[in-house]
Amino acid sequence: MQDFLMLVLEPFHEVFAGFKRFAPNILAMLTILIGGLITARVVRLLLRKTLTALNFDAWSDRMGFTVMMRKSDVWTKPTEAVTRSVFWFLVIFTIMIGLSALKVQAVDNLVAQFFLYLPRVFSAVLILVIGYVAAGFISRTVLISLVNRGYHYAKLLAEAVRLLLVVLILAMALEQLAVAPNIVVAAFSIIFGGIVIALAIAFGVGGIDAARRVIEKGASEKVEQKDEIQHL
Amino acid sequence: MSDFYQTGIITTLHNLGKPSLERIEGELEQFGKTRPVALVLPSLYSEFEGPAMPRIVEELAKVKYLCEVVLVLDKATEREFRKVREFLAPIKSGVSVIHNDGKRVQEIYDTLKRNELDAGQRGKGRSAWLAYGYILASGKCDVIALHDCDIVTYSREMLARLCYPVVNPNLDYVFCKGYYSRVTNKMHGRVTRLLITPLVRSLEMLTGQHRFLRFLDSFRYPLAGEFAMSTDLARVNRIPWDWGLEVGSLAEVYRNYSPRRVCQVDIAANYEHKHQALSAGDAEQGLMKMTVDICKSIFRTLASEGVIFSDGLFKSLSVAYLRMAEDTIMKYEADAAINGLEFDRHEEANAVEAFTKAIRLAAQVYMETPMGTPLIPNWNRVTSAIPGILEMLKTAVDRDNQ
Repeated sequence: MQDFLMLVLEPFHEVFAGFKRFAPNILAMLTILIGGLITARVVRLLLRKTLTALNFDAWSDRMGFTVMMRKSDVWTKPTEAVTRSVFWFLVIFTIMIGLSALKVQAVDNLVAQFFLYLPRVFSAVLILVIGYVAAGFISRTVLISLVNRGYHYAKLLAEAVRLLLVVLILAMALEQLAVAPNIVVAAFSIIFGGIVIALAIAFGVGGIDAARRVIEKGASEKVEQKDEIQHL
Repeated sequence: MSDFYQTGIITTLHNLGKPSLERIEGELEQFGKTRPVALVLPSLYSEFEGPAMPRIVEELAKVKYLCEVVLVLDKATEREFRKVREFLAPIKSGVSVIHNDGKRVQEIYDTLKRNELDAGQRGKGRSAWLAYGYILASGKCDVIALHDCDIVTYSREMLARLCYPVVNPNLDYVFCKGYYSRVTNKMHGRVTRLLITPLVRSLEMLTGQHRFLRFLDSFRYPLAGEFAMSTDLARVNRIPWDWGLEVGSLAEVYRNYSPRRVCQVDIAANYEHKHQALSAGDAEQGLMKMTVDICKSIFRTLASEGVIFSDGLFKSLSVAYLRMAEDTIMKYEADAAINGLEFDRHEEANAVEAFTKAIRLAAQVYMETPMGTPLIPNWNRVTSAIPGILEMLKTAVDRDNQ
């Protein structure tokens, strides 16, 4: 009878012993989560006050970041978007650290993968932000220079340049995030290569006369310039 | 039929003979290919519940030359906004409805505010200004026409005649204002008849010949809310957001363009819309509020042109205006008599007394704050401060209309 009782109680003892070993981990996780959430809230508050003091919203409006947000159908203030992003990043970060405190092999692997992936996310965001600003700048430069040269399709060409750059930037960001990298690279190569080949064919075959005129005009202008009287 | 006499320093285009609407619309369709036309309709939701709007939509559904119609909807909930979009569905060119109280458009106002750009208070001026911004952002049209949404006697001929002088490239006008008579069984348009004209002429008498006063006096109905203009003007013009909208806009046209490129056109034999109460005892409501704002706008424009105002001048102005307005009443009494119209001389005299009070109030406000112009900055300045604002506005409106 004693043996039978032992047989029945043994699993309970084992579970209890396991729980005793595991309880501090849960406690540690809860402490980390509570501490992390409080920290995230404090950081959000401080960040919001700092960004408001720095007039971050107006700066974003002028730099074009607000336009980028609106095009993505995000209609909150830039300060609010940044503080919310930082808050949720800290919350996820805290959850990951909290989970790692459980010391469960499967969870540990997941957490390790998350932290290894973080630098990629940072690089992708950086590429997107810098790329967007650069695309806007280059597109504007193309527009101004073509308008000054009197091209009728200046706006269209500037938009085309911007679109191409955006496609390039998106491909770079996706490649950085390792989202189906082979497909992204292949798709980008096909699209970009296709456009370049199409332009080459259009210019070389369809616009052969126009190309000749442009080259001849350029050459004749050079000759004319040489003939001009040079002032002392 | 009207006469063909040209008055003032701007061109007057009369309604002579029996001009064919089909011919004008046919020409507008042709000209519209190279100079596309946008129509701006500033409206309140309550106007959709009145008799005017169904007729306006019915008429606009027959118009083929419009490239874009932009309706700015004020004081409407999300559900009412959706109802309005359904209501406007018969208009073939499609209507972009700017939901002024919508979340996205409100965010646009917030963006302006945090960049120290004051779009002013809710009203026709701000609505029109926002619609111009949307049209500039679309970049599809060269001409903008605007009319109110409370015209009970609306016909598409009004719109055609309003657009024609600016759309026709051979005429080369940049701004065209509509005019019409406002007569039922009696004469309406008290503010124009009994305030603007006598006030402008009194000012001319006291300050001497001034080109702006001549310009203002050249318009047969300077307070008409219907006009057409080139989109360039929409970019450079600053618009008042208060009741000084019409006079203030004319002042901006005067400032930016030669009167030779400005005209007025007879758009309707008769015109009927909602009438404002006089509310002589309250300067913050009805016609009194309107007249105070109009007078302030005129005083400030003249001051910016170098006219020096003093207490003495304002005192003389009140007396001169009163005399001139009383003479005007007599002229209109005779006009009413020959045409068999009702004419309440006492009511007209009461209006003149209220307007005299309004002139004094406006003068007082002007002397206290001569710089306080309620002008919304022009789009050139706004895009200079926030380069992406037009794109933001277009995104907001297009998303709302998806």
